[in-house]
Amino acid sequence: MSAFPTYGPAEIDALNTVADAVLGVFKSHGYTRYEPAVLQPAHLFVDRSGEEIRRSTYELTDPTGQELCLRPDLTIPTCKYQVESGAPYPARLCYHGLAFRHQPGAGQFWQAGAELLGHTDRASGDAEMMGLAAEAVRAGGVKDFSVLIGDLGLFHTLVDALEVPAGWRGRLKRHVWRTGYFEKLLARMVSGETNEAERTVDALAGLKLMELKPTIERLIDNEGDAPLGGRSREEIVERLMLQASEDTAPRLDPDVAALIAAFLKVSGNGEAALEEIRSLTKPVAAKMVKPLAAMAERLHALKANNIPLDRVRYVAHFGRNLEYYTGFVFEFWTRAGEVAGGGRYDTLLESLGAPRGTTAIGCALRTERLIAARAEA
Amino acid sequence: MSEMITLAVPSKGRLKEQFDTFLGKAGIALKQTAGARGYRATVEGHPGIDVMLLSSSEIAASIAGGDVHLGVTGEDLIREAVPELEGRVTLLKPLGFGFADVVVAVPRSWIDVSTMADLDDICAAYAVRYKKRLRIATKYAQLTRSFFAHAGISDYRIVPSAGATEGAPTAGTAEAIVDITTSGATLKANGLKILDDGVILKSQAQLAMSLGADWNGERRAIAKAFLKPLGVEISE
Repeated sequence: MSAFPTYGPAEIDALNTVADAVLGVFKSHGYTRYEPAVLQPAHLFVDRSGEEIRRSTYELTDPTGQELCLRPDLTIPTCKYQVESGAPYPARLCYHGLAFRHQPGAGQFWQAGAELLGHTDRASGDAEMMGLAAEAVRAGGVKDFSVLIGDLGLFHTLVDALEVPAGWRGRLKRHVWRTGYFEKLLARMVSGETNEAERTVDALAGLKLMELKPTIERLIDNEGDAPLGGRSREEIVERLMLQASEDTAPRLDPDVAALIAAFLKVSGNGEAALEEIRSLTKPVAAKMVKPLAAMAERLHALKANNIPLDRVRYVAHFGRNLEYYTGFVFEFWTRAGEVAGGGRYDTLLESLGAPRGTTAIGCALRTERLIAARAEA
Repeated sequence: MSEMITLAVPSKGRLKEQFDTFLGKAGIALKQTAGARGYRATVEGHPGIDVMLLSSSEIAASIAGGDVHLGVTGEDLIREAVPELEGRVTLLKPLGFGFADVVVAVPRSWIDVSTMADLDDICAAYAVRYKKRLRIATKYAQLTRSFFAHAGISDYRIVPSAGATEGAPTAGTAEAIVDITTSGATLKANGLKILDDGVILKSQAQLAMSLGADWNGERRAIAKAFLKPLGVEISE
């Protein structure tokens, strides 16, 4: 496709037809359409998705010096609208419009999406959103697609259940989707070559618990009038107390590392993959009951939406590469590529000012890919 | 009129003096053009070279944009202006002066932080605790982004800094910084320390060639003749 496409009458017709069909499905399930502004404050996205999103975002500065961007997605502004409107939860919102990302080909693409916000029953929310996406894709003219699902929440539960030095749990969770890097990280943890703040922790070695806090505080004071850089003394003390309370040289048990690696390799037909995970995680079975039950329920929901389970692939390490996703994710694929994707982002609304624990799940369909997939079928 | 190429060199300061000395060793001298208000010069014995005297950052931008054929400026500025050098800029020769490191520095009171992995933990904890991203002040946004991506850090945001970056943590406009340092003394005076694995680039002045500039055979020959006594070979 051209980097600067002009849509002709035929393309406009096709776009409108697919958009109307998809939005019709959303509407019939009680979703109200909104159209967020194309031009948005840049920090809205950078604060939620991380600095990395800037590499693919079109940013500009307005004449007053405010940093703006062309919306790289419609989810964040739609969620922000819901929070600021003060409308009650659960809320069902949808949209269709252009999103802008620096990528090969055109820097813009059409997206139709739906957001289910503040729906407390997560299992039924997951089922509703996958069902909605499947129905919308079919209404868009694509009947044949396969499904990819993953849930890093399962991995998080596993890491919390296993014997892992407390300070490293966050690292494993944060870097799990970075293939290549993650394997090296695991290997470094097993060999004990992580050397974080070793000099400081060495200075604290052998101290009794009651001596620990004043010693750390003295070490901070020794730095004189050095700025605290937005952190509090308590934060620094807390982190060092945690590290000092562990072995001086924490190491990851090789068996635990092997289990983590084996877990992340699980990939395949939904039900078989689930069984494999069940047997792999036997040593911590009690902790895994709930998330595994949730995954089984999602497979049922897919079956109930007439998606044969032999078209559903579960991939343990699959998490969509956007920072605000919190666990469960799914993608619908055709030969023309990914036509729809979605998942849970249960911390996004809170970061926009909603009450703590306000849930969110959504999906987005790529309108042009649906048209391409229809042509291929 | 016969063919010309443009060479951009620093208009003032240490970098200019050191480049003049470097040329002098090869028996080459720049001659300021009268009446051009000190913005233009010629190279004795090389009438095909038009010398423009610019600021270091203008030189980097001109090399990046293909506005000049050759240029002398800091590698840090070149890499910041052109994140992927391949196909756009060739670094012809490190000049052995203008040494400086681009580094990640954090407040010295962060006694629990000495590596990028620590900083990664801190960034993630900061995002959870304060519901916003830890701010890194810098004028090296591109270098910072690729270095942080390589270290797997994503929970942060860059605050563009126009000058006196090292003061940002004290002023409260950022939590940590990425900046250039030669001896580390300025960082130290501002209560900052460099992370053990926080050296992004060991930079020095470079003689660079812009591949996007308007080159042809005759212009290449002019460049070749100028570069040869400096110990740089380029193909015709």
